[in-house]
Amino acid sequence: MNHQISTVSDAKALAAIQEDLRQGPPGDEASIAAAARARGRRRRVQVQAARAAAVVVIVGGWQLFTNLKIVDPFFFGQPTGIAHQLVDWVQNGTPYGSLWLQIEVTMKEALGGFVYGTLAGIVLGVLLGQVPFLADVMGPFIKVLNAVPRIVLGSIFVVWLGFGPTSKILLASVLVFFVVFFNAFQGVREVDRNLLANVRVLGASRSQVIRDVVLPSAVVWIIASLHVAFGFAIIGAIVGEFLGSQEGLGLLISYSQNHFLPDGIFTAMLIIAVIALTAEGLISQLEKRLLSWRPGTHVETAGL
Amino acid sequence: MTPISQTPTGSAREAAAGTLPAPRAAARASGTDSAQERSRIELVGVTKRFVSPSGTAMTALRDVSFAVEPGQFCAVVGPTGCGKSTTLTMVAGLERPSAGVVRVGGQAVDGIADNMSFMFQSDALLPWKSVLQNVALGPRFRGVPKSEALAKAREWIRVVGLSGFEDHHPHQLSGGMRKRATLAASLISEPSILLMDEPFGALDVQTKAIMSNELLTLWERTRPSVIFITHDLEEAVALADRVVVMTAGPGTVKAVYDIDLPRPRGAVQEIRFEPRFLELHQQIWESLREEVERAYARTGRTTETPGGRQ
Repeated sequence: MNHQISTVSDAKALAAIQEDLRQGPPGDEASIAAAARARGRRRRVQVQAARAAAVVVIVGGWQLFTNLKIVDPFFFGQPTGIAHQLVDWVQNGTPYGSLWLQIEVTMKEALGGFVYGTLAGIVLGVLLGQVPFLADVMGPFIKVLNAVPRIVLGSIFVVWLGFGPTSKILLASVLVFFVVFFNAFQGVREVDRNLLANVRVLGASRSQVIRDVVLPSAVVWIIASLHVAFGFAIIGAIVGEFLGSQEGLGLLISYSQNHFLPDGIFTAMLIIAVIALTAEGLISQLEKRLLSWRPGTHVETAGL
Repeated sequence: MTPISQTPTGSAREAAAGTLPAPRAAARASGTDSAQERSRIELVGVTKRFVSPSGTAMTALRDVSFAVEPGQFCAVVGPTGCGKSTTLTMVAGLERPSAGVVRVGGQAVDGIADNMSFMFQSDALLPWKSVLQNVALGPRFRGVPKSEALAKAREWIRVVGLSGFEDHHPHQLSGGMRKRATLAASLISEPSILLMDEPFGALDVQTKAIMSNELLTLWERTRPSVIFITHDLEEAVALADRVVVMTAGPGTVKAVYDIDLPRPRGAVQEIRFEPRFLELHQQIWESLREEVERAYARTGRTTETPGGRQ
């Protein structure tokens, strides 16, 4: 069904085919298609090779320069040092208990914040999007709250709720909330007027309008915000742990900082990056599933 | 008079003999006049003003009065921006008149009635639902159990010739197929009133002709009252029993013509060559042309008379 040029690589392949047609003698379709496929394969291999080279240069260069003491490993750490640190934490545990416990705590805080913040953002976004009066009343307050450097709220939350995970979950949800809220709100406002009028004439009640039209059409916007929102959830959890906690990856970073252990900081960073990438992958899967009704283009290009 | 319409599976005509709802004529014969009366539409002195956010008022419609008898097919023609669509939204209960009254079945319209369907110019199919789910929306909203609604939707999808496309999403269909799906979604609730706002305006000429034929066939089965908005006078005369000509904005009724071409009309492409059709077309065009010219003059264009059918 979809013969549209849906991705950049398709467009390039097409351009290449057209180039062939201009230059060489016109071959049959099969050989043109085979040539295009071969070109695509070659390109993918080139991209992978270039990526591998970039990693070798950066990590290898880092190792080399620190080995040669051109760069001081005491301040900048070393790839081998990071590997040792990781193995050490896995085998002997961290100063605050096993590494898995730290990961679990941080994940729980980030996920909790992500879920609560997202739910609150969707509910309030849809509500304010549906009730213009409420939106007009609340508008300035939300703008003010959004302008406050919200990370600082973490200190208040630690004062209120103590060193446990609750204060981190709250901070993470506040960070997530605003991202999702603004997108949900905008999404609800962008709903096609025609669709609304149509389902109303078909006899839809207010809740049916929201369920069948408003939410599905806002999902495009909400999903887009989730990619950013999960990043914020992790930031919230880590910063919360920084500000005061008894366990978690943020605490490990803070400990490494206080003991001048750059390798520790980098190791924790590495672990967080793996978590964030995994979450990103899962959100992309969710996006693909929820937006499967759309014509190809968007989902495929959302990869980056 | 062979029908031009060639639907992929089971044409509307064939289905007409099938299992679908008994024609309204039966209800008429059994003496339920009330059902019939419910489908009379009457606009009396309807005026609609819009106020822009900056506070200036704009009159879209001024003192519009006309009536559509039960089971009548009424076309409304007029130049662009004369408030044709606004008229429909008020009959549908989506908007209220600033002055005057819209009556349906003798009662003033205040809100959305459940015996009406509305077909918009742009596709109003929900893009995230399949054809089947879209067609079943009306019954589902009105509380019909799911399996029953889906069965009925399948039936109507067959009637409009979309069998085999039940599970497709709207973006996978051509413009004409989307119109068929919309038509099925509008007719599934067997409305006694059908409001159509340039429903075929975005289609190519051939598809438009095919869809017009299908529409007439389906309409002749259940005979809802129809208000059909168009800027295409030929379409109006070919389809309608009554043509209302509106003036350039603020719109008001300039003239009402009854079209006495016999029914069933057969293919709309052929009726255009009948002498009576030409006569009526010529007569109404005389009236419409002035308004079109006025509307053109207002947009600042110095165009010649836009080509009518000569």
